[in-house]
Amino acid sequence: MNTPLPVQPPASVQIRRKRTMRTTLEGITYLLPSLILFSIFLFYPMLRTMYLSVYLTDYQGNPVQFVGIENFVYLLKDVNFLQSVKATLLFVCYTVPTSVFLALCLALMANEKLKGIGLFRTCFSSTMGMSVAASSVIWMFMYNPSIGVINKVLSLFGISDVQWLLDPKIALVSVAISTIWMNTGFTFLILLGGLQNIDPSLYESARIAGVSYLYQLRKVTLPLLSPTLFFVTTVSLIHSFQTFGQIDILTKGGPMDATNVIVYSIYKDAFINYNFGSASAQAVILFFAILVVTFLQFKFGERKVHYQ
Amino acid sequence: MKKGIFTLFAFIFMILAACSNQSDEAATTPSENKEGKTEIVFWHAMSGDLETVLKEIVEEFNKSHSSIEVKPIFQGTYEEALTKFNTVAGTKDAPAIMQTFEVGTKYMIDSGKIQPVQKFIDEENYDIAQWEKNIVNYYTVNGKIYSMPFNSSTPVLIYNKDAFKEAGLDPEKPPMTYGELKEAAKKLTKKQGGQTTQYGFSILNYGWFFEEMLAVQGGLYVNHENGRKENATKAVFNGEEGLRVFDLIRDMYKEGTFYNVGQNWDDMRAAFQSKKIAMYLDSSAGVKTIIDNAPFEVGVSYLPVPDGVERQGVIIGGASLWMTKDISEKQQKAAWEFMKYLSTSEVQAKWHVKTGYFAINPAAYEEEIVKAEWEKYPQLKVTVDQLKQTKSIPATQGALISVFPESRQKVVKAMESLYQGVDPQEALNRAAAETDRALEIANKK
Repeated sequence: MNTPLPVQPPASVQIRRKRTMRTTLEGITYLLPSLILFSIFLFYPMLRTMYLSVYLTDYQGNPVQFVGIENFVYLLKDVNFLQSVKATLLFVCYTVPTSVFLALCLALMANEKLKGIGLFRTCFSSTMGMSVAASSVIWMFMYNPSIGVINKVLSLFGISDVQWLLDPKIALVSVAISTIWMNTGFTFLILLGGLQNIDPSLYESARIAGVSYLYQLRKVTLPLLSPTLFFVTTVSLIHSFQTFGQIDILTKGGPMDATNVIVYSIYKDAFINYNFGSASAQAVILFFAILVVTFLQFKFGERKVHYQ
Repeated sequence: MKKGIFTLFAFIFMILAACSNQSDEAATTPSENKEGKTEIVFWHAMSGDLETVLKEIVEEFNKSHSSIEVKPIFQGTYEEALTKFNTVAGTKDAPAIMQTFEVGTKYMIDSGKIQPVQKFIDEENYDIAQWEKNIVNYYTVNGKIYSMPFNSSTPVLIYNKDAFKEAGLDPEKPPMTYGELKEAAKKLTKKQGGQTTQYGFSILNYGWFFEEMLAVQGGLYVNHENGRKENATKAVFNGEEGLRVFDLIRDMYKEGTFYNVGQNWDDMRAAFQSKKIAMYLDSSAGVKTIIDNAPFEVGVSYLPVPDGVERQGVIIGGASLWMTKDISEKQQKAAWEFMKYLSTSEVQAKWHVKTGYFAINPAAYEEEIVKAEWEKYPQLKVTVDQLKQTKSIPATQGALISVFPESRQKVVKAMESLYQGVDPQEALNRAAAETDRALEIANKK
């Protein structure tokens, strides 16, 4: 008879708890559509990839033999995979800073209030409207060593033919150049939007104070643009890690794997060589790599971001 | 905000509805369409001019066979089509007939999703002796014919006759050996200032050409008689035959007479048309288009062999038609009917003269349209002669491995590394070791 009677919580707590439950449920209901979409198209495939990465699969991608971490161990020792890692990192280093810098310069220019600036804004952002496939084909013709326009122009200046996509030393740079061209449109548009959001009264004050353009850029424009810059850099970085279309069309990962970035290597392994296990293992590695990079970026990059 | 959620829901429902619609459609068209015709879905990889011709042929078949309706559907390159087939094999969406390239043979057999046509050959006592014997050799696996050969090609040497004349070479005497090839290439290479305006020779960085140059010397690609006696376990293409091919490329590249065209067929042909290269290797299936488009006279000749090595012949390239297993008996019968139609001499004759693929049925060469076309394009005949002179040995039967696409990538990489000054033997050994690893994994499956 010593059992203490269950203590009835005071009525107000009960009501509060009920209310929290209700709001939570309501919140989940609002989130439901995206939760469903994410689970079907993102979470399930991701879990499945992790599951497959520890198996050897048959040609249809059904797991047949559990191999544990063997896929990972082989990959980390494989010179071809290490080459892919190197190519990916180089590619990211070539494209991200360049395209953000280029887009920033263009956006600063296009932000000036001049006659006919709309035409330039349209031009600079127009590459956003081109699909990767279409623009890659155009670049492919321009790079063509026998009939391409780039070599024709170079030969006018007496420079001998360059094998843009066939020389392992140049191929990655060539693909990077075309990628920068493709990405600039999007980056430009976002940055221009960011610039136009800056309060004009700040510029007025700057003008009254009589500071130089560069000083104004450093002290007013860039700090206020930093959230946009941060967003653009993060997105470009992730985007660049996942580059596929232009590689497939321009070089197919060649020559000598110089442009065989991880995503392309995953595609080749899974859908040409039917090694879904090892391809999944590469995908998992790439996932964690992007996770770490994005995390580091938020940890260190965001400190410099100035939110208004 | 409410409106946004509503739109989102509507969107999801639309997707779901679209999905279910699709599966309904697939479910209601198992074997017969509305008019009571047996429907045969035919996946192929023929693009451009080839697709036009193929469609014509199918059209004629549908007209002459009132109870069957063949639907040809283009599915991209051989590799892409195979990938798509792989994802739908065994489901209702799988086609009844699938065209697959020669190196996919072993893969298709291992997939377990196909019906060997030998069954119908036996039932009807269909005479395969009417086929080209080299084709029978290639497609006979374990004493069985699994698929119906359809479009077959061989590699040939294509050269610019006008450039030959200019360089003081006899345009009717193309090089037959590596020695002659090197000599001719030296004379054909033209320099202007510091720049080479015309190179002597080129080979596409594509595994098929290496395989052919190996086979023409009698060299094997993998062990166990090219994988035909039992499952191959080791790559052997890094022997002396393979080395000769790689040495040739390396030597000519060093001399500046060899041009690296990359791995794109169109780039290679563009380089030839624009007179950047005077000789190169191509598939016989491309011959007709090249002759029609080149602004100069085009010669076609046999694949060259190393000096002092006896010519063994070539492996047939191209593709064959596979029947899938999970279709109704009626559909299989109809599919077989269509396959038989494609290999008749009339159809093969038309196919040969319009494309440059050679006829799998030699009786086609007796047809009038072939004779007339050979008068106009004597080059077409070269491709046929080269195959006729092929000796039937395991080397020219071609290798039978399921990891061919992967192995080809490794060989291509090895070819590319030659231009970077990597030692030929080293490059070959590396490709062979990587192929070994692929074979090892494949044999575990």
